[in-house]
Amino acid sequence: MLKDVTFGQYYPSNSFVHKMDARIKFLLCLVFMVGIFFVQSFVVFGFITVFLIILIASSRVPLKSILKSIKGIIVLLLLTVVLNIFFTKGDPEKDKLLVSWWIFEIWDAGLYFAAKMFLRLVYLVMGSSVLTLTTTPVDLTHAIESLLKPLKVIRVPVHELALIMSLTLSFIPSLMEETDRIINAQKARGADFDTGGLVKRAKAFIPILIPLLVGGFRRAEELANAMNSRCYEGATKRTQMRVMKLTWRDLVGTLVVLLFFVTVFVIFGMKSQWINANVDWLYINDVNWLYF
Amino acid sequence: MDIITLDNVSYYYKTYDENNDVSYAVGVEGVSLSIEEGAFVALVGHNGSGKSTLAKLLNGLILPKSGTVTVAGLSTADKKNLFEIRKNVGMVFQNPDNQMVASIVEEDVAFGPENLGIPQPEIVERVSQALEQVGMTEYAKRSPHKLSGGQKQRIAIAGALAIRPKVIVFDESTAMLDPLGRREVLNVAKQLNKQGMTVVLITHFMEEVLDCGKVVVMSGGHVVKIGSPMEIFDDDRLLSSVGLDAPRSIALSRKLKSAGFNVTENCIDAKVLGGEVCQNLTNK
Ligand SMILES: Nc1ncnc2c1ncn2[C@@H]1O[C@H](COP(=O)(O)OP(=O)(O)O)[C@@H](O)[C@H]1O
Ligand SMILES: [Mg+2]
Repeated sequence: MLKDVTFGQYYPSNSFVHKMDARIKFLLCLVFMVGIFFVQSFVVFGFITVFLIILIASSRVPLKSILKSIKGIIVLLLLTVVLNIFFTKGDPEKDKLLVSWWIFEIWDAGLYFAAKMFLRLVYLVMGSSVLTLTTTPVDLTHAIESLLKPLKVIRVPVHELALIMSLTLSFIPSLMEETDRIINAQKARGADFDTGGLVKRAKAFIPILIPLLVGGFRRAEELANAMNSRCYEGATKRTQMRVMKLTWRDLVGTLVVLLFFVTVFVIFGMKSQWINANVDWLYINDVNWLYF
Repeated sequence: MDIITLDNVSYYYKTYDENNDVSYAVGVEGVSLSIEEGAFVALVGHNGSGKSTLAKLLNGLILPKSGTVTVAGLSTADKKNLFEIRKNVGMVFQNPDNQMVASIVEEDVAFGPENLGIPQPEIVERVSQALEQVGMTEYAKRSPHKLSGGQKQRIAIAGALAIRPKVIVFDESTAMLDPLGRREVLNVAKQLNKQGMTVVLITHFMEEVLDCGKVVVMSGGHVVKIGSPMEIFDDDRLLSSVGLDAPRSIALSRKLKSAGFNVTENCIDAKVLGGEVCQNLTNK
């Protein structure tokens, strides 16, 4: 049951992507996520697929770990696909009605739309799991603190937020141990967590939650004492041991990602006259592959 | 020179009963005590005798309701002094898991120096030196929660050392550890004292006070006796009245002596005592 949260999903390696600065990876991941939402055609999804393959290969993370992350959103995926297939009303002028039964209609446009939504969600999760598989939560925390620093001007408590994240990370392992201990103690007293209906089972967890809560308060007090004893007085004059340095890898990584998205969007993404005029070759068999 | 002086210090905890009526429980009462620079002082007493209360008074985590606590000439009553006082008095608590602020060893140790606002290269230097002092250098990049209890406490000690205090207070830092972990922590404490650090060791394991220069016995919030370890062990009436026992080897050597055996009185080392008993038996 116990997993080392310090390293989260982290997959240790020395790859190019691992060695990149966490801040840059975080920003590029955002670019990727936003970019995905602008993708309208299957052709561009093809390019994104190639991009992801190259990314995963250069991160040396096994594909299995990345696919595992999709398991977590499988319900969401199914729901999205089903809803989009059944509830997309096509335009009778240009779309084909494939099936019509009772109140349900399936249009070809609905199928395409569902497929695109499916790809978007899957690629979104794959992209972000490359980030979490190549970066430790500790590094991510530092990255977020550093990236949010400008918000200090508008009085966002950036340091405090980062501290909370860091304390949470260090607390989770002992919280899990504590939970295990309490569950075992209650089982030894005859508590039954595994049978009965939902309500009965939920009730069985109250004797676990209460000791956990009490323990949490005690820990909070002790932790506050420990932090005060170590001269903690908020963010005012704090310095940091960790230095984050950008290297050539970050430059190369940023250039590659930005160039890729800019190129793809300039060629395929815009509906401008100029682009349409220049991509006549995309019309094959009277289908505009740009918007297919 | 005294680094810490307590002058007639009292502290009471506010408590509420079922009717929400306020009453006050004694934490410590009328404690006067001075701790010399470089000393190794033990603070012993039964559960609830006020040891932790006293410890928290030493670095201003709580402030005396009456009396004064002075650290390196600064009174804890003045809020402006607290930062300086905490720089001088490091503290290691009982539960190692509840003092970790980061999930990487070296970042946890760096927490103190970071709060002091010292430049980054010096933080790195202090962290590596502190880890070396407690013999945990090779664990710098690990996460602390997979370490043994004794190792975690050594990390906590390193965290206090990185601030470079003059005094370090151990509040029952060995209570949750197995014998091996206890020995690890105790050895670090002794070694620090040899290097000139003032050490205040709070414990209820009487074996741990053997090497201390001065033992302070507490009961019911009061200091009931201050003396050398032997003076304390000799005072059977006092010990039984405050619910403490002399270390077993000492108690045994006394019983043997009074039963007519020819052994060293107040023998600390169980092995020596054993040898002497064998000698006695073969001579008979
Ligand atoms: N937070 C608190 N609230 C109320 N009473 C407390 C609190 N902490 C300690 N006390 C009381 O103060 C006395 C001294 O406690 P403490 O200093 O923790 O003793 P020790 O560390 O020697 O076990 C005890 O009687 C205890 O019940
Ligand atoms: Mg205590």
